[in-house]
Amino acid sequence: MIKKLEKRTVVIVGGGLTAGLVSRQLTAQGIDVLVLERGGDHTNGAEAKLPSQRDELRWDVRQGLVQKWNVQTYTLRHSRSDTSLPVRWMEAFLPGEGMGGAANHWNGHTWRWSEYDPTLRTHYVNRYGAKAIPANMPLQDWGVTYKEMEPHHDLFEKLFGISGKAGNIHGKKQPGGNPFEAPRRGEYPQKPLEITEAGSIFRQTAEKMGYHPFPTPAANSSGVYTNPDGQKLGQCQYCGHCERFICEAQAKGSPEVLLYPMLKQRKGFELRLNSHVLGVNYDQKTKRVTGVRYLDLRSGQEYEQPADVVVLGAFTMTNTKLLLLDKIGTPYDPATGKGVVGKNFCYQTTSSVNVFMKDRWTNPFLSTGSTGTVIDDFNNDNFDHTGLGFLGGGMISANMFSGRPIVARRLPPGTPRWGTKWKQANVDWYAHSFGMSIQGSCYPHTENFLDLDPVYKDAYGQPLVRMTFDWRDNETKMSAYVTKKMEDIAKAMGADIVGPAVPRKSPFDTRMYQTTHITGGTPMGTDPATSVVSSHLQHWDAQNLFVVGASVFQHNAGYNPTGPLAALALRLGDDLVQYVQRPRML
Amino acid sequence: MSDDTTQPPPRRHFLRQVITVAGTASLSSPLAVGGGAAAIVAAGGAHAADAPAPAAAAGLIGYECFSADEAAFTETMVNVMCPADQFTPNGVDCGLAIFMDRQLGGAYGKGAGRYMSGPWAQGKPQLGLQLPLTPEQFFKAGVEAANGQAQSKFGKTFDQLQPAEADGFLAAIADGKISDEAVPLAAWFNELVYPLFVQACYADPLYGGNNNKVFWKMLGYPGLPATHTLDMVNYRGKPFPGAKDPKSILDFS
Repeated sequence: MIKKLEKRTVVIVGGGLTAGLVSRQLTAQGIDVLVLERGGDHTNGAEAKLPSQRDELRWDVRQGLVQKWNVQTYTLRHSRSDTSLPVRWMEAFLPGEGMGGAANHWNGHTWRWSEYDPTLRTHYVNRYGAKAIPANMPLQDWGVTYKEMEPHHDLFEKLFGISGKAGNIHGKKQPGGNPFEAPRRGEYPQKPLEITEAGSIFRQTAEKMGYHPFPTPAANSSGVYTNPDGQKLGQCQYCGHCERFICEAQAKGSPEVLLYPMLKQRKGFELRLNSHVLGVNYDQKTKRVTGVRYLDLRSGQEYEQPADVVVLGAFTMTNTKLLLLDKIGTPYDPATGKGVVGKNFCYQTTSSVNVFMKDRWTNPFLSTGSTGTVIDDFNNDNFDHTGLGFLGGGMISANMFSGRPIVARRLPPGTPRWGTKWKQANVDWYAHSFGMSIQGSCYPHTENFLDLDPVYKDAYGQPLVRMTFDWRDNETKMSAYVTKKMEDIAKAMGADIVGPAVPRKSPFDTRMYQTTHITGGTPMGTDPATSVVSSHLQHWDAQNLFVVGASVFQHNAGYNPTGPLAALALRLGDDLVQYVQRPRML
Repeated sequence: MSDDTTQPPPRRHFLRQVITVAGTASLSSPLAVGGGAAAIVAAGGAHAADAPAPAAAAGLIGYECFSADEAAFTETMVNVMCPADQFTPNGVDCGLAIFMDRQLGGAYGKGAGRYMSGPWAQGKPQLGLQLPLTPEQFFKAGVEAANGQAQSKFGKTFDQLQPAEADGFLAAIADGKISDEAVPLAAWFNELVYPLFVQACYADPLYGGNNNKVFWKMLGYPGLPATHTLDMVNYRGKPFPGAKDPKSILDFS
């Protein structure tokens, strides 16, 4: 028997980064907020304490902090003509579980996207003409401008103590920073992280080639830091256990360090853990939601939680799933191009190359999750695409994020896979190699979308989300072009060996980690025909329902999604303060 | 290195150990059977990794998951993949077989975290393995199939092969040159066995492999606790002294 609880003002589904930021804005104004999170609290667990925190097998290889695939996975088909199958153990991307969500185990890269990203369609049309955008690429403006997002970017970077070097302050280029950066109001809150040996090698070569290297903006705290809320970060210890790990030194900007402990002290805030949301109650007649249904995993009891306002702040795919399950909005239909829920599902186009230099000590274990040196010269539309036959691009970086020995050993091509020669190659190259990589854009394609799988179900008896996704022409051409640029830099470094630089190619492979930067499914915009939520993240078909997270992105850029995702969450928090006082279409 | 060819075939080695233990009721051998999970001997003893022939330290003992045949297969395999050489002792003495046994007998082997609901169908490899077997069951089915293939190719089981033969046999499986009607042996080796081998070498010794941190010493991975704020600057581009004396979870437990 479902039990009905007392109504709350704002109920947020998912206790990750976005929920923490929205709650911060709301509770500061005394507004009542309840966050429902399926997982538990990692704060005092083995994952957050020494020595167990440094267990590569447990947290990394066996995915100790990641969504449990036996409970909920995704199905995949590469095209509509394929039959989908469940990914029984996902490696490609890693949603989190527990208070803080995936922002517990993130690497910490914190980008503002290009100034033109929120108005990308207009930008491309203006620069190359309307014909430059292929018919199967449903690019849309987001209905928000960078200028509107900038104050929220600024606040987020201060809250999370981001370490970096500005490249553009009020339009004035800054030496040492990213010349392609969107204009900032000031420097980063903290100085950049220390550069690695690999970064130095890359920087020298890239500069010689006329490119513009700069340090990756990082949530890994370069110093001891106190944020505007009085919350503290320790100094990064460069231990190389960031992505897939919780920072035991509290030196990585994370919701479980900077947001939730503070929120728990605030009146009107409640976080309910082990609470798995099963659905959103939607009244089609009034076009309003009335609350959510969730299962208390500790008791097995199902509850109805009434709410004035519901915010979906779960992982990308879950936001889409909840809308599809309760039939809120029109599902996207690739056959007609009509409908919106599940549309513009994008991933990120990555590739890499290994560089071996026997006389250089690269010491991969002296690193943190964001010790990268990067160029933005070939990212997005920072270079002329005339005649190239594709749109978009990627950042090229020399990354040294960890020396964890199971997964972070680089071996030259042709090395035997075992035996004494294999060991010899490990000895020769472990501390004398590094990887370069590309994180590239992924633009929407009419045949890449999400819906509910007709066959496979999760542990709660609900349909799995089905991905119909593959690397399409635009992305494979982009990857080939930018990967060649990366290879050129690698070959100019004077390395002993440069590994194969293989561009991303179809078919999409779930067996290898690429990024967790999955976007779209509930895109934002100004037109209900091409967006699920408005530019204020308000659902077109349910005025008191809001969606936040990378699921609202219309496309994915060659950057990590955290910056704009966090800026939009803070902006939503401010909008909701207004909305709660006077409900209306914003 | 080919000095492993002078060693007795691993199956006989394994059986001798069983007999020794059965005969003397001693659990002092690192390969003693029957010790179970409780018979954990803390990793100890200082064996320099840079010594010409590193010696093994006592590790976990006793198989909790493998049958005698599976143990013999696995021991032969890890000794071929990790021969005793200037870098490490042989795979068995590095704890690689014990690591696999413990992992396959534990939560991982039982399929923890794997989506195991039907219906079952085969698809493109990029969708990942689609087998209704747990990793433990798959491992054992693969051992049986590989032994069957060895039997038809050489007239003997895998553990009876000379190291060079066994090495070539594993390479042929990895390359998909030996197929079995019932078990997809290339996927078995590449997606299950090989990752376990690498994990056995490089995981924290807590799990029974990488005995005495021998692979970390070989590699120059300093391990825990890693507070490198100053090292980042002081050892940028230089050899890091801590790499010679790694610390594992066991050292802090």
